[in-house]
Amino acid sequence: MAARYDRAITVFSPDGHLFQVEYAQEAVKKGSTAVGIRGTDIVVLGVEKKSVAKLQDERTVKKICALDDHVCMAFAGLTADARIVINRARVECQSHKLTVEDPVTVEYITRFIATLKQRYTQSNGCRPFGISALIVGFDDDGIPRLYQTDPSGTYHAWKANAIGRSAKTVREFLEKNYTEDTIATDSEAIKLAIRALLEVVQSGGKNIELAIIRRNQPLKMFSAKEIESQVVDIEKEKEEAEKKKSKKLI
Amino acid sequence: MAATFFGEVVKVRSRAVTEDEEDEEDPWAPDNPEDREVRRELERKREVEVLQTQTNLSLEIPLLEQYPCSKFIMAVGNNAVAFLSSFVLNSETWEEIGSTKLWNEWCRTTDTTNLSPTDAFCVFYRLKSDPTVFLCQCSCYVAEDQQYQWLEKVFGSSPKRNLQITILTSRHVTDYKTPESSCNLPSPFLKALKTQSFQDAACCTLLEQPNIVHDLPAAVLSYCQVWKIPAILYLCYTDIMKLDLVTIEAFKPILGSKSLKGLVKNVSHGTEILKKLVTTNEIQSNIYT
Repeated sequence: MAARYDRAITVFSPDGHLFQVEYAQEAVKKGSTAVGIRGTDIVVLGVEKKSVAKLQDERTVKKICALDDHVCMAFAGLTADARIVINRARVECQSHKLTVEDPVTVEYITRFIATLKQRYTQSNGCRPFGISALIVGFDDDGIPRLYQTDPSGTYHAWKANAIGRSAKTVREFLEKNYTEDTIATDSEAIKLAIRALLEVVQSGGKNIELAIIRRNQPLKMFSAKEIESQVVDIEKEKEEAEKKKSKKLI
Repeated sequence: MAATFFGEVVKVRSRAVTEDEEDEEDPWAPDNPEDREVRRELERKREVEVLQTQTNLSLEIPLLEQYPCSKFIMAVGNNAVAFLSSFVLNSETWEEIGSTKLWNEWCRTTDTTNLSPTDAFCVFYRLKSDPTVFLCQCSCYVAEDQQYQWLEKVFGSSPKRNLQITILTSRHVTDYKTPESSCNLPSPFLKALKTQSFQDAACCTLLEQPNIVHDLPAAVLSYCQVWKIPAILYLCYTDIMKLDLVTIEAFKPILGSKSLKGLVKNVSHGTEILKKLVTTNEIQSNIYT
């Protein structure tokens, strides 16, 4: 039945589906997991690193990209589509700064990206962008923001979210573990992001990439060593929690 | 006879069944020797053969009539094949006893006469310590017209006693029909479908209607149902059809089942092998990040 209504983006099915948009959401699930967390004074983006071929330069395969000094995004889905969206967003950030002499707000740039995506769901001859994005940053008012966009062109603000493969598992983990305590301090928020990724990442810390933005500070990418030390801390805490549990049982 | 709008007179096909029906043109009858030759060549090309590894000769009688079998475990598709390769094939000592040689439009090779070892897509292994236990790794697509031949050449057409069959395969989650939205499905997940004579419990929930099974696994299951052979199919619905660790690990509950009992020794060793297998295949595509 879907076969008659899924060839063109501009055709609704009788029950109101836009199948091309829904198929684009399947393309997002093929990308590796990305998680975003909004803390009190920090925003964290963690991604599962894509394994790189031996002869490939690792620097060209990045899932976390800065859009401006105070905004960055992580995506999941078609790499080429992401590159186009990121380039347009970066140009828009600079254009906005030159026009109104103020940096973009996170919501503005998210709305720009979402509008761009939506336009491609209503044009004939084009297909939707096959990416979902997590956009984080701080506005001038000092409030941290996290937004998520998807191929249909919708965007929503989130406290914490995940996209890509196994996003559902990570989201369930976040729903259980995102509490006022876990985001009380910056380090706790970072640990929460890493713990969420460790639920689904296969070979532990070396396949994780992390970026944070603190209020009035530029984007910081964590090095592999820093991530490894965080993972070691998390494992220690896990062991201690388990020891306490077994003591209680005894 | 009837006249058309353009003034032609044509013979009208009558729905009345008369004895003259046999004289009418049958559109499917081969009308010239060339067509017949092409058809014969195509049939020859699409023939399914089971080759014995030792002699490299085609088996004259069905495989399971040549070798008595009590347990037949089959993997169809690359994820199921990788699962059995890592957790079952590496544990005990298995010997390769045969393979099927077949060609269809899905095959990558065009030369059907000289198939290299890597092209032998359905490989049969037998457990050395118990020669009635068989394993079949099928990573090729067996077309609809070839499935019957495959069944004939492997199982034969007589009823089997004391045989139990287990099939593992995977399918894309978008084929799973459910009233729930596909975003809420916990893919990958396992579903089972068994024949009436299969008495043991399955390791997961049964496949609900109106979902159906396709291709070779369906053909084998139908064969088992007809011949009253206890058989169970474990179907993993996944959103990633290529070789994927998460999908393969979804088959793990089967390791505890009666079908694979005693065949799996070291699960952690199996996990290591699996990781190696997947990473060597993983770094191929840059399309998705």
